Amino acid sequence: MTETTVTPTKPLVVEEQETKPGWAGQNVPRKEDKRLVQGQGLFFDDVKRHNMGYVHFVRSPYAHAKIRSVDVSKALEHPGVYGTLTGDEVATLTDPFFQISSPPGAFLKDYCMAVGKVRFVGEPVAAVVASTREIARDASELVEVDYEPLDPLVDARRALDDDAPVLHDEAGTNLTWEGVYEWGDLDKAFAEADRVVKISELHFDRFNSTPLECDGALVEYNRGTGQWTLITNNQFPGFAVIMMGPAMRVGLDKLRFVTQDIGGGFGNKITSHPQLVACCLLARKLNRPVQWTEWRTDFHLSMSHGNERWFLDTEVAVSEDGTLLGFRTTALDDAGAWLRYEPLGGVIWAQVTPGMYRWRHIRLDFKQVVTNKAPVSPNRGYSRMQHLWFTERLIDIVAHELGLDPVEVRKRNYIRTEDMPYETPNGCIYDSGDYAKMLDAALELVGYDSLAERRADAERRGNLLGLGIGSTLDSGTNNFGQSRLINPELQFSGNNEVATVKLDIFGEIVVTLGTTPQGQGHETTASQVVADILGCSVDDVNVRAGHDSYWNSYAGFSGTYASQFAVTGLGAVKGATELLAGEMKKLAAVILGATPDDIELADGQARLRANPEAALPFMALGAIINANNAGLPEDLDVTLNCRYVYRPPFQVPDVERKYGNLTLTYAAQVHVAVVEVDPETGVYEIVDYAAVDDCGKRINPQIVEGQVMGATAQALGAATHETFTYDEDGNLLTPNFYDYHVPHALDMPPLKTGYIESPSPFTSLGTKGMGEGGGAGIHAVCAALQDALRTHGNAIVYDSCNPYHRVWALLSDPDSARARVSVEST
Amino acid sequence: MEASVATLATIRVEINGTAYEREVEARRLLVHFIRDDLDLTGTHVGCDTGNCGACSVILDGTLVKSCMLLAVQADGASIETVEGLAQDEELTGLQQAFSDHHALQCGYCTPGMLMSATALLRENPRPTDEEIRRAIQGNICRCTGYWNIFEAIKAAAEA
Amino acid sequence: MPAMLLREVGYARPATVDQAIELLAGHDGARALAGGQTLINVMKARAASPDVLVDLGGIPQLRGIELDPDGTLRIGPMTTYTDLISSAEARARPILGEVCAQIADVQVRNRGTIGGNVCSSDPTNHLPPLMVAVGGEMTIAGRDGERTVPAKDFFLGVYMTAVGPGELLTRISIPPGRHDGFASIPIGKDGTCIVNAAASANGGLRVALGCVGAVPEVVEPASPEPEAVAEAVRGANLDPPSDVHASGDYRRHLAEVVAARAVRQASERASG
Repeated sequence: MTETTVTPTKPLVVEEQETKPGWAGQNVPRKEDKRLVQGQGLFFDDVKRHNMGYVHFVRSPYAHAKIRSVDVSKALEHPGVYGTLTGDEVATLTDPFFQISSPPGAFLKDYCMAVGKVRFVGEPVAAVVASTREIARDASELVEVDYEPLDPLVDARRALDDDAPVLHDEAGTNLTWEGVYEWGDLDKAFAEADRVVKISELHFDRFNSTPLECDGALVEYNRGTGQWTLITNNQFPGFAVIMMGPAMRVGLDKLRFVTQDIGGGFGNKITSHPQLVACCLLARKLNRPVQWTEWRTDFHLSMSHGNERWFLDTEVAVSEDGTLLGFRTTALDDAGAWLRYEPLGGVIWAQVTPGMYRWRHIRLDFKQVVTNKAPVSPNRGYSRMQHLWFTERLIDIVAHELGLDPVEVRKRNYIRTEDMPYETPNGCIYDSGDYAKMLDAALELVGYDSLAERRADAERRGNLLGLGIGSTLDSGTNNFGQSRLINPELQFSGNNEVATVKLDIFGEIVVTLGTTPQGQGHETTASQVVADILGCSVDDVNVRAGHDSYWNSYAGFSGTYASQFAVTGLGAVKGATELLAGEMKKLAAVILGATPDDIELADGQARLRANPEAALPFMALGAIINANNAGLPEDLDVTLNCRYVYRPPFQVPDVERKYGNLTLTYAAQVHVAVVEVDPETGVYEIVDYAAVDDCGKRINPQIVEGQVMGATAQALGAATHETFTYDEDGNLLTPNFYDYHVPHALDMPPLKTGYIESPSPFTSLGTKGMGEGGGAGIHAVCAALQDALRTHGNAIVYDSCNPYHRVWALLSDPDSARARVSVEST
Repeated sequence: MEASVATLATIRVEINGTAYEREVEARRLLVHFIRDDLDLTGTHVGCDTGNCGACSVILDGTLVKSCMLLAVQADGASIETVEGLAQDEELTGLQQAFSDHHALQCGYCTPGMLMSATALLRENPRPTDEEIRRAIQGNICRCTGYWNIFEAIKAAAEA
Repeated sequence: MPAMLLREVGYARPATVDQAIELLAGHDGARALAGGQTLINVMKARAASPDVLVDLGGIPQLRGIELDPDGTLRIGPMTTYTDLISSAEARARPILGEVCAQIADVQVRNRGTIGGNVCSSDPTNHLPPLMVAVGGEMTIAGRDGERTVPAKDFFLGVYMTAVGPGELLTRISIPPGRHDGFASIPIGKDGTCIVNAAASANGGLRVALGCVGAVPEVVEPASPEPEAVAEAVRGANLDPPSDVHASGDYRRHLAEVVAARAVRQASERASG
């Protein structure tokens, strides 16, 4: 393969919102950087406490087994061991975690460690705490667990067989949740169709984002007050506490979450609550701080796999001219052994039901099953990624089989910019966007016009060249009311995020967020919004790093997940700052003898618009309220400490029709990949790549670009080598970075990026949440491979992950792949 | 005379110009010695098979992964970690370039990346594009996709 | 369950080969510690936990590369990949540095050693097939003295070599030659090899295949033509292992391809 440089060309900005003077829209240097480049970040494992004990979890070597007994006596005798925790204790001290699911999933008894049975290799069975990490590890080998192995269930497609092992007797079945979604008129669509394209099986593979820092916590317990402090990296404390509190039989305020720097989350740090409960119990039992560091292998074995999903018996109704009318499919979702954030995946896909396309007649039978694998949890693109890969596969396979141009088929079927805001068949509102324009931009960036020439050049070198498109949506700011489509008994709806902005006694502006950033630059972008409203410099705005429950600046849904900060977090910041600005003007008005409307905030001062010489520096305002407030009018409602809860405008969805708006904003991504395949080996390289992104108004374009790049890189990993593959005994074959190959620097293709700003009409800043848009890349590579193999067997790509061996299979036995697809004329 | 076998040893190490003398178990990895025993927590652990490079340090002038060495092997060595790069809070050109080019997001791989880049630029002040990529091939990043890291190192080299 | 933390171990840092041999012979569970880029991982996973680690890093005799007048290269086993890549002497047999440069990354190459690579006898390693193809000779020292084992007899099984308990590899000798080739299919750039092959066309044609069995498999094609090479590989009746990266069948096919590529490189150097 020819060597190409990876220097990205300057991003092509196709359309930028008119730039107003101010901080928003600027590439303001990140406040986070100074400490991070000096190694002065504070990650949970950096914190130490006197007398702390280190936890090591004893983990199951079996995928499925009864636990006959757990004997910790020898471990307790090991010098340096402080104590242990077993499943029996846990079952006494705690109640099972709340289950989101309706029956039968509702009956799962999920504790913080295995009780009575293990259901995946790596499941924690006992915990040992000792004076050093090494001793805890040594002593864990002395814990004797007597297992009675059971047959494991590893293939979701076998989960409902009569002879399938049942994981949870309490549920009585492996089908823990099912929902049938149908909108439009399927019969009519299929009757009117000229062709029906049938695809027997498509598979979205199991992987996750493998953040470089694994999970962990340092947990302290205050006996006097019954208060736990968890210094951790959980990225959704709002969710963690509602899981942990009831299970531990304590009020939520007893669980103080403190995070500062987090080494990547990508959704994979949402469901650490079981291990956190174990740590809390141990901290209380042993009366000392307890520290848990998850090692890479532990993480791969047990934490947060992305949903693995099969799309079975799909049928697509198509007109002769390539208009897609509708589809029906069964989505079989493999949730692993426990439902920790599931079955929300069973509805979250519906935020993007039609993908980017205008078909109106859709039926999806969502079946979620449990298997003897690691429990899944949200992974960057959570549940939309799987579904959008699927809709892209349909477009691409239809175009492929009917001999149509995949670019034309997309443009024919894309939702058009003039249709925005667009209501989907299930009542979601796509706010804005111009998909066709994005596709044109991406194709231009990747040099589409020279494709034939490049193909010929590759052929001269003995290689096959292919081009593929992936177009996806990053739906952001969830309406948690969609959980009622999973379980009508649930009492969740809407969403929120909090920010507090205050002016201190010396005029310092201090911002406290409710989020738990893992590199998204929240401190920086928040300061940009604040500085614009208060008329000061970003350097004057101090944003506290991280999250702390004691700041009381968070609400039920606080955290950093689901592509929403630019809407919810910054919406809260805007709201709080506007409140503060209002108060500052009120106070200044009193002091300057004017009305608030006469006051402007600029250059770090509150001054009379008509006479800027009459000015009060922020410090004066802060000092007056905080330290020198005698003589102020009694009814002056000013504290200069403003807390704001942003609440997006949602209604509770219609549970009966499964209809309603599920997310507030819809960022869009169109990616194009060019691959070169060596037909002799199945080895391939991505030789060119373009990513065009539209996330509305960009507060900090450089930060947005960073997210686009990162999501792209993860997509490339997921498309090529990253897979959590199990053997038939339920052993994970890729339990570390040696076997689970993530992209390294030499693996990266040249990257061209482009941006369009279609502001959201629904948000206070015109922003849309973004960051999860990597699914586009996965499909772009799949489609490029399929295109490349056209002349060598014409196989259909049916798996989201295509390592060399799979490409080889497609080359050497294309008929097996092709057998999955048939086209009927009606 | 036979060399002696010891499960515990006193080692002397110089890190960022400061001398340390500590007793360590032979089995203690250098990265844990640096992080847990000496409280230099800028060097990070990201994996357990020596693949991710988050633990990279410069030992006697050579870039190494500190999770793949025992602390006892560093007896008598002079080690540089990320904490030794900036002087009096004045960032090096390389560190500034990382910030300017948004070459870090979560910052977890960053110390290792900086040590790898520092080692490269010391030996090869005008590296080619390929040499830059090879220099950080042993450092995994999950946030940035490496493109901006490459830009930052290139900019620092050209400055 | 594999993790990050080693079992208790004794550590010694001898200053001479004789001291090292005494330590290795005197403790049943003693292992030589070379670069540690494999052994430390093995110990983290607790897949093996030696009682004593004999650190060879302080023995000057085990380092260095000498080029004899007759063109033979004598390489100390504690030579790191980086040392070899930058060695002027080693350029006498260029394939050595070229292959070492493909191994993993800078950090690994700075510590990992030639001796460690061959003594670990991991079927996916680069150097075992290379040593077999170029006809390397391994000098092994023990209490009873020294002996030399040709590379083709050195690799006995997965993680097993002719170096026995109480013995130490002290030198690797490479005969002169410049007509060599190497080809591999790694997972991602410079990643672990799925298959690899080393070829030597220095009078006669010899190909050593890696990753297809417990030890390198040698074939001697009748000619450098791709079809002859493929036929020779097929004639070896390989039964390669299956794993998450490749099935046995896929490896068998890839072996033919990399063998042909390695041979092409070797014969281009022979004619060019």
